[in-house]
Amino acid sequence: MWQYTLKRLLQGVITVWFIATATFLAMHNVPGDPLSGERAMSASIRANLEARYGLDKSLTQQYFIYIGNFLKGDFGVSFAQENRQVNDIIREHFPVSATLGILAVIFAALGGVLWGALTALYRNRLPDTIIMFLVILGISVPSFVFAALGQLTLVNLNAFFGVSFLPVAGWGTVSHMLLPALVLGMGTMAYLTRLMRSSMLEIIHSDYVRTAKAKGLPPARIFTRHQLRNAILPVITVLGPAIAAITTGGFVVELVFAIPGLGRYFVQAVQQLDYTVIMGTTVFYGAFLVFMVIVVDLLYGWIDPRVRLQ
Amino acid sequence: MTTKLLEVKDLQVEFDTYGGIVKAVRGVDFAVQAGKTLAIVGESGCGKSVTVQAMMGLIPMPPGRIMGGSARLRGTDILGRKMIEGREVRGAEIGMIFQDPMSSLNPTMTIGDQIAEPLQVHRGYGQKKAYARAIELLGLVRIPEAARRATQYPFEFSGGMLQRAMIAMAISCNPTILIADEPTTALDVTIQAQILDLLKSLQAETGMAIILITHDLGVVARMADEVAVMYAGKIVEFGTTDDVFYRPSHPYTLGLKQAMPTNHRDAVQKLMPIEGSPPDMFSPPVGCAYAARCPHAMTVCEARQPPAFAVTVQHYSCCWLQHSQVPHKAAGIFYGGGHD
Repeated sequence: MWQYTLKRLLQGVITVWFIATATFLAMHNVPGDPLSGERAMSASIRANLEARYGLDKSLTQQYFIYIGNFLKGDFGVSFAQENRQVNDIIREHFPVSATLGILAVIFAALGGVLWGALTALYRNRLPDTIIMFLVILGISVPSFVFAALGQLTLVNLNAFFGVSFLPVAGWGTVSHMLLPALVLGMGTMAYLTRLMRSSMLEIIHSDYVRTAKAKGLPPARIFTRHQLRNAILPVITVLGPAIAAITTGGFVVELVFAIPGLGRYFVQAVQQLDYTVIMGTTVFYGAFLVFMVIVVDLLYGWIDPRVRLQ
Repeated sequence: MTTKLLEVKDLQVEFDTYGGIVKAVRGVDFAVQAGKTLAIVGESGCGKSVTVQAMMGLIPMPPGRIMGGSARLRGTDILGRKMIEGREVRGAEIGMIFQDPMSSLNPTMTIGDQIAEPLQVHRGYGQKKAYARAIELLGLVRIPEAARRATQYPFEFSGGMLQRAMIAMAISCNPTILIADEPTTALDVTIQAQILDLLKSLQAETGMAIILITHDLGVVARMADEVAVMYAGKIVEFGTTDDVFYRPSHPYTLGLKQAMPTNHRDAVQKLMPIEGSPPDMFSPPVGCAYAARCPHAMTVCEARQPPAFAVTVQHYSCCWLQHSQVPHKAAGIFYGGGHD
């Protein structure tokens, strides 16, 4: 088990290194550079700036300087925002994005498992039909539409009752988080519901559930001990990619709800070709996602004993 | 005569399918005596498994439906009931093991926990006590290193070991009846014999009755005290194992016997398959279901359902050949070497 964990972590480090290299190369191949702003500058100023930021060195040299700094845990200074450390940007804004993302994943996973199990138990009856209709909506409607609709509904509700149930936008308290997290998790929840439903249907008709019935176990015990744990396995498998989808999808939702997350800086940095911020946020996100996938895999091994030994 | 522990009368089960209604079980009668083994034999799809699953309440409804009949355990009908005399039927009164042990155990739960489960539910044992008993039960079904094995998962067991674990689970609450639904079909032959011997010795120790479902006449000969031969949702012949094997009184039983290979060195007789295939269960025939394949069919066979004719006190056959007006012919078919 420890060996397995160690192996996965090592693989993760290699993945992150790969992400860093690919981003570095892609970034430098985009036409323009951080210094080509709106204002024209003289050749001597440009040369000075390039020398200051190390842009006059060869690509290989720059690459090794970056990697060396990464290893020291230093993402450098932003080009666009004067005197701002990339580390500070991440430290300030990542917790916001992470909180939102984790909350959304929890919404999606709990909702997906619950609705999926419910639809399977009520197969082809009214609850199943209704939920599966909503699932199709959830999968096909993009999150910014849900975000706008959610805000609109909230505004109308607040106006109708004359009380502010939940804030429409902004950040700060738990009540600020609920709606954005729900919107962000919606698509994944729908997808997981469908997955859980088919997996549950398969397990309801499995031989070991019949055995459990023949043992005379009460339905609640059969559900929790014999059906749920086995049905959840495919859901856990896709949870890793789902976390990736939710965190990267977070940019849009952060923008709509005016949430000071990392997403805004990420998008801005790409527009301004702010090399250090692009590299810092990409590598950091990459490392975070790789780590989450490893955590999910370890979780999978904990739930399914067959995976543990391999 | 020994007492009848379980008496099934006129059991009828149907299934709704896209093609129409399948009449899977069409009035089955049999009785099981305490401490004895009854074998139900018949080919695939004849309704043997459905019969016992109906008794255990394991038929999914819908699409399944129990249309009538009764199954009385010590006089109380258990059809559609969960409890009799304060005891749970499933798991406590009747234990059950299945055909494929590989898929019949929960892959994410340890063997020990799975065996302990019925004890916790039916006997109210605490977790520790139930687990300790589970280890004892594993020893009882001759699994070596029971304590270590109990902590393992099904994928760490072989097929034969899993079937032993299934047996341990089924007998954990000392059931009065153990239903074994093709218990050895998925196992290889050397393991088959071990499992059958185990069932027999457990029966001798606990005094439970066994209902053995199989299509293997070799298994029947080895295990059963009584045999019910089933065809197209009906019992066509019922009797002691000796009666059914040595004095078969239904052409179908005879056909099965002739289709069974022997290992006699001087056997010259060819294996005789039963020609044709079982009837369409969407619209079962009006008369005897076997008439279309029966080499001895008479006009009456296709027109009217044969009643149960008593051959001896404990041996009956549902065949018009047993009617008193065709005695000589019947004698010729059944006792004259079984060949035309």
